[in-house]
Amino acid sequence: MNAPQHASLIGQRIPKMDAPEKAAGKTRYIQDLNLPGQLYGLILRTDRVHARIVSIDTSAAKALPGVRAVLTAADVPIHPIGVNKDNPPLKSDKVRCERDEVAAVAADSIEIAQAALKLIKVEYEDLPPIFDPRDSIKDGAPVIHAAKPDNIAMAFDYAHGDVEQGEAESDVVVEDEFTLHRVTHCCMGVSGVIADFEPVSGNLTLYSNTQVPFLHKREFAEVLGMDPSRIRIIQPPIGGGFGSKLDIYPFEPIAVYLAKATRRPVKLIFSREEEFIASPTRQPAIIRLRSGAKRDGTLTFRTVDVLLDNGGYTSWGATIPFVMMQTFSSLYRVPHCRYHTKAVYTNNPFAGSFRGYGNLQATFAIEQQMDKLADALGIDAYEFRLKNAQEAGEITGQGMHFKTCGFHDCLKIAAERSGFAAKRKAMGAAKGLSGVRKGVGMASMLHVGGGAKIYPSDGCGTILKLDDFGHVTIMTGASEIGQGSETVLAQLVCEELGVPMSAVTVVNNDTDITPWDVGVHASRTTFIAGNSAIGAARKAKDKILAAASTVSNMKAEELDLKGGNIVRASDGEKVMPLAKMLRQLHFSDKAELVMTTNYYEPPSVHQDKGFKGDVSAAYAWATQVVEVEVDTDTGIVRLLKVWAAHDVGRVLNEMGLEGQIEGGIIMGQGYALCEDMPVVKGHLVNPAFRDYKLITAPEIPEMDISFIETMDGEGPQGAKGVGEAPSICMAAAVANAIENATGVRITSLPFTPERVYSALKGKLQ
Amino acid sequence: MSSLVEISCVVNGTPTRLAVPPETSALTLLREHIGLTGTKYGCGEGECGACTILVDGISVNSCLMFAVDFDGRTITTIEGLAVDRASDPLRKAFVDKGGVQCGFCTPGMVVQSRHVLDKHPHAGPDEVKRGLEGNLCRCTGYKKIVEAVVTAAAQPAAE
Amino acid sequence: MTAIERYLAPAGLDDALAALAGGNATVLAGGTDLMPQINAGKVAFRPILLNIRRIPELRAVEVSNGRITIGALVTINELKDNPLIAKAVPLLAEAADHFASDQVRNMGTIGGNVANASPAGDTLVPLLTLDAEVELASGAGRRNVPMAEFFTGPGRTVRRPDELITGLSIPLPRLRTVSRFVKFGTRPALDISAVSIGFAATLESGRLSDVRVAFGAVGPTPIRGRATEAVLEGAALDPERIAKAAATARDEVKPIDDLRASAWYRRELVHNLLGKVLSDVVSR
Repeated sequence: MNAPQHASLIGQRIPKMDAPEKAAGKTRYIQDLNLPGQLYGLILRTDRVHARIVSIDTSAAKALPGVRAVLTAADVPIHPIGVNKDNPPLKSDKVRCERDEVAAVAADSIEIAQAALKLIKVEYEDLPPIFDPRDSIKDGAPVIHAAKPDNIAMAFDYAHGDVEQGEAESDVVVEDEFTLHRVTHCCMGVSGVIADFEPVSGNLTLYSNTQVPFLHKREFAEVLGMDPSRIRIIQPPIGGGFGSKLDIYPFEPIAVYLAKATRRPVKLIFSREEEFIASPTRQPAIIRLRSGAKRDGTLTFRTVDVLLDNGGYTSWGATIPFVMMQTFSSLYRVPHCRYHTKAVYTNNPFAGSFRGYGNLQATFAIEQQMDKLADALGIDAYEFRLKNAQEAGEITGQGMHFKTCGFHDCLKIAAERSGFAAKRKAMGAAKGLSGVRKGVGMASMLHVGGGAKIYPSDGCGTILKLDDFGHVTIMTGASEIGQGSETVLAQLVCEELGVPMSAVTVVNNDTDITPWDVGVHASRTTFIAGNSAIGAARKAKDKILAAASTVSNMKAEELDLKGGNIVRASDGEKVMPLAKMLRQLHFSDKAELVMTTNYYEPPSVHQDKGFKGDVSAAYAWATQVVEVEVDTDTGIVRLLKVWAAHDVGRVLNEMGLEGQIEGGIIMGQGYALCEDMPVVKGHLVNPAFRDYKLITAPEIPEMDISFIETMDGEGPQGAKGVGEAPSICMAAAVANAIENATGVRITSLPFTPERVYSALKGKLQ
Repeated sequence: MSSLVEISCVVNGTPTRLAVPPETSALTLLREHIGLTGTKYGCGEGECGACTILVDGISVNSCLMFAVDFDGRTITTIEGLAVDRASDPLRKAFVDKGGVQCGFCTPGMVVQSRHVLDKHPHAGPDEVKRGLEGNLCRCTGYKKIVEAVVTAAAQPAAE
Repeated sequence: MTAIERYLAPAGLDDALAALAGGNATVLAGGTDLMPQINAGKVAFRPILLNIRRIPELRAVEVSNGRITIGALVTINELKDNPLIAKAVPLLAEAADHFASDQVRNMGTIGGNVANASPAGDTLVPLLTLDAEVELASGAGRRNVPMAEFFTGPGRTVRRPDELITGLSIPLPRLRTVSRFVKFGTRPALDISAVSIGFAATLESGRLSDVRVAFGAVGPTPIRGRATEAVLEGAALDPERIAKAAATARDEVKPIDDLRASAWYRRELVHNLLGKVLSDVVSR
């Protein structure tokens, strides 16, 4: 960089700290780790979708040379896991979906473990299955969990205002049913765990890719009936997260049971096929949305009814209503809103949390109806959105306080840079069902940008130390899942302490060392871990400058830290090297090391029983405009260009931020165009990349990304979280673009060639 | 179990003699038998490219290759490229251009990019995209990876 | 578990044929089909694993007597990059460009693709279109089988277990041959084919002769569209003729519904894509 000597790091393009090691192939992920004496664990999953387990015969498997343990539910304590505590890691009485874990094996090698699985004999009595969530709530439906005889795993109701009044005030009302499909994270690194249980001390070390190590620790203590102090979680570098690792899943306790039974470390790694079948998916949804507006272009109401296929067991998928509610109630100004969701059990695979967490689904519905309402009123689609977009200072019906708000700027910049209004008009006039047609579509999104207070605490702890040479170690509870949090935290601390990035080490992967953090989710890490780290750094700076003032005849307020030195704040004149000050403090009579701690709890509140409250310390917006080309002879939709304008609060690491946005856009492209998980009679038909299509390099669109800096008052250096934002409105924008190009509005995903072709022919089911 | 087959090959410049079961994949040989874990298992069916290595200078999916087919050949993995000065500009470009996020696809991307540049020393974005069509990434959206490879292509060869 | 008792990697064809003679050898060439099929349990190893990759005569590419012979071990990328092949049979080079990925193209062989006999095999449609012959060798001798007679069902061919595909023999296209290959997909490659079409004919004074049309992924094997060819043979390509050919093609293919596409959609694609191909021939 050719920056002047004391240039700020904020806004720079900073390479990721771990990138050199990763580009050399040196990084050891969970799959690359091996412990001496380890065994290989494998899980026997059922081939049924709803059945009573009559008997399990493991005798032949146990007798196979090299097999060290074969476990079934009978061998382990029954402690169900999951949001509803309805998921026993090993199934005893029933299986409820094709994922179900019936037995587990630990053996000397993978090959022996695979052979042992084949020798386990399970007898079942099939039960009538449910595959359509609409059937789950019919009278006489088979009961999937005895504890919930109506098959309703969770239900949510929310309202603000009075939707009847809203309807009465409307000049146009539109109603649609939107069907959102199943997709999955497809992390390049498959799931895995290594459980190392030391029998004499009773200590458990878990090498886990969890995104919530401290919650995990507490959950494991409960599941295993262990003292939490005896559990240590070490997080190896992760091969992708995207929300897939926010819950405790059966394979991890199973690995621990195997480790306890064999008294040896057990390594359990999924195959890719198993990853498709057994890793949680995005939550599919059927959304019935009715919304209205007045002739003057203001929105009046939204009435929403959502049915969620909860699958066989309850994980975070059932809780996406928390996020969907926020979108339905507060994306654009809506005076009246009523929202109802049921998550119902079926015998399909269950969903978990996935980047965007329900917001993609809700935005798909809302933004399609925004176009419909605008067209029905004869108002320009962009102007209609602008008119209803909130501004700074507004508080929504759900109690979200938009202290800073870049919504208007996002809309304006995306519209200007894309030429949206003129293009939509021209392409709309040329829309048709023959040849190749072009269209543009716009969609915006709202998401939390300053954490989300859903747990008792939404905080993060930091411990900071400086050594005698000015090297800084940041111990943070926040995990690095590839999103660059490590680099941003180092950047923020370097900015406070005036040291170069090369002088920083970040420790973030051991629950014995790092302080508590609730976890990597809700796009919170830069905001909350960042503020936590800044607080610790400022405490260190105060201590250093106080010491410097006693030896320099200047007041602490007249001093600063820049370029590795203590300097005079007014003109940058060097007073003394930072490292020298640290050594003086250490080896003088004071005998002090500079070590500080900080726990940052964001100033947000828990929602009340009506789900109302200012649940995040900041909120973020984005608008995306997409241009597509539809080949009506094949149904192929090509994404030509995406203009994205994101309210990021402040750009911290410009390159890292771009990388997040670009990656999220492509993930949204895949969600819209080609990813799908058809589940037929409870079985996933495409558990392989051959038929689960991810976007590949030649398919990416041109991307034009703009950052809107609203300088959030609470955010670290003004920044907001953006991890989930870029994926959220892509599918909605593409839907609107297809309508602009062809005149056909498609209310279900994905927009694969056959589905689009069928829709254009009026044949889409 | 099958009887072992003796093979001799050169792995990252080191002559290597091994006895391998004939049904073993090259990927398993590298990761489990030799201990070179830089090459990754992504799918085991040749769709994701995370297992890409160079065999006699040509890129292949090691998950599809039989280990016994290493006999008499020269193998280069990411670990070999990492110590080869000629590949420093490529790896540096991945770092400097933000082409690495979680890093799991990175070894495969770097090895395949090496091969693309060997075939097309002045590759432009379209050639690079086609060259990387068999390497999946879930984090970056590919844009910065392509920029990195194009940057490396535009540089004079390292000494 | 695995039944491999012997592993052989002969350097000469006769040794390979001798090993095959007992009918209990699994042939290994590029491995791009064998490895996934073994892992999926679709194929089991026979007692002998026979690696034929070190047999030099199977790599040869030769032009003589008005034909080009491509050795079975020629890789898909070599089909693309070999100037002899690209010049003599551009249709084959074109199809190779849509095949899987660079890494798979570096290992996959044309012989392997033919032996695997997938109804969607990417090289099979152009080979059918070009009237290729499969050259087979065994301890008992050699024989050639026309591509159109080679496939008997999905993954099944007339090759006996003791036979090895040694190469593909293709008549060099005549002057004034036009040819096209189109593979349906959202990506340039890495797409299991939903539908592919090969077209070749002599175009003289605005009329087509010696018409060959082949379809992939619309039946149990890649097929020649005989009825479609009949409509086009001797004809001028006016819009009516093109429409009739497209409609005939749609009716003569026999696709099934599967996870990749429905039968109805495949028929629509055949109709629409053939129409585009023929219109494109006219416009050049």
